[in-house]
Amino acid sequence: MENYPFSENSINSSIAFRSLLNATSYPGRSFQINKLNKPSVLSNAAAIILITLCDNESNVYLSKEYNTEEVRNWLIFNTGAISSNKKNADFVIGTWKSLLPLNEFKIGVPEYPERSATLIIEESKYKKVKCNIDGPGIKNKLHIELPNPELFIENNNLYPLGLDFYFTNDLEILSIPRSTKINIIKTEH
Amino acid sequence: MNEMSKNENIDIQIYNFAYLDENTKRMIRRALLKALCIPGYQVPFSSREMPMPYGWGTGGIQVTSACLIPKDVLKVIDQGADDTTNAVSIRKFFQKTANVAVTEKTSDASLIQTRHRIPETKLKEKQILVYQVPIPEPLRFLEPRETETRKMHALSEYGLMYVKLYEDIAKHGHIETAYAYPVKTNGNYVTDPSPIPKFDNPKMNNSPAIQLFGAGREQRIYAIPPYTNVKSLDFEDYPFEAMKANFKCSICGSSDSYLDEIIVSDDGKRSYICSDTDYCKEQTKLNSKKEDQL
Repeated sequence: MENYPFSENSINSSIAFRSLLNATSYPGRSFQINKLNKPSVLSNAAAIILITLCDNESNVYLSKEYNTEEVRNWLIFNTGAISSNKKNADFVIGTWKSLLPLNEFKIGVPEYPERSATLIIEESKYKKVKCNIDGPGIKNKLHIELPNPELFIENNNLYPLGLDFYFTNDLEILSIPRSTKINIIKTEH
Repeated sequence: MNEMSKNENIDIQIYNFAYLDENTKRMIRRALLKALCIPGYQVPFSSREMPMPYGWGTGGIQVTSACLIPKDVLKVIDQGADDTTNAVSIRKFFQKTANVAVTEKTSDASLIQTRHRIPETKLKEKQILVYQVPIPEPLRFLEPRETETRKMHALSEYGLMYVKLYEDIAKHGHIETAYAYPVKTNGNYVTDPSPIPKFDNPKMNNSPAIQLFGAGREQRIYAIPPYTNVKSLDFEDYPFEAMKANFKCSICGSSDSYLDEIIVSDDGKRSYICSDTDYCKEQTKLNSKKEDQL
């Protein structure tokens, strides 16, 4: 039983998915997720996304820091996911810096815009820029901090194609889907 | 005796939580999240055979099954009513397979599965509304080829739909389409709101709740996230109009809720009652409170 990431698989995966569903529905807002057994380098939140969504049809790209034997074994044992390169990845995990440039990931095609990568951004040690976000799921403009917001603006310009992002931090997830519009707040020097 | 209680235990645990197996749920969950990221776009999914016939909400229950959590309070409606066959059997299905609490009150429900109506009571944040959808493709009756409709969506080529609405005006003097009235979601994809009356269309716009759509036979999932612009298609000189029968409910007296026409006698006498049974009950309660105060 200890090998399983969730103590009660079906129930806990449903609770984890509800957090993901809420996070995706209300971009820019943090949602709490529950704890699970996971490799030490991965955050709880990132591990939960992989466990809840990946199976043997999912291509997963692990960036350098996460491409360890422990993570690979954990992922294959629990999900059967396929280790993938950047170009074919459905799910991508890494720190912001290690995943740049973003243009190697798939953004879908006009007939099938859903065939695009979901990026899970670990750690929040990036240069933060203050932004306003707006769009589906956002009632009033929200104030958040993003790394390289110009890349998110570029991504939104591709809409309905593009990448979907989850920022993960220990027990929290926050989503920025392709539909979110970003405005950089100019600060005076 | 011991043998029997053992069997009963097996009977309870015979299903995975909320019926579907974990792998199927994963596949549906991935489709749901992409659907939320691309509002109004129909994501293909490998729909499973469910223990009910197509047309009875096989898409809806697959979506509900993938979303349910143990502490959910489930409400199921069919044309607004909680007590019709379809609603009762789906509610029982999830009571048995997921052991969730159920309710008829819209405001108490955390997840509402619906066939062809949106509740009259305003929905709240984090409430989930799951629609049962027969034909998810709004262009299907205009263009039968999937390869073509897919291209039309990719190019936002919706001229054909406007021609159809125009033909309505040319023939009848107004847009005749009264249900499944096409909408544009987030300014991009033309979407079928499932066969809800067009009276309900404005409720989809900028709703705080999460709207998910499941079409089992047609194998499509789509979504409208909260606070999303949903506009019913129309023309400048023929603006969209939400329509209902111009009567009062003969039970609660409400004049602002959607009404069903019922024939009450052999000589064809008609009467109108709220289609939303929960709303009707609430209004009746409010009325009797008011009377008590007088």
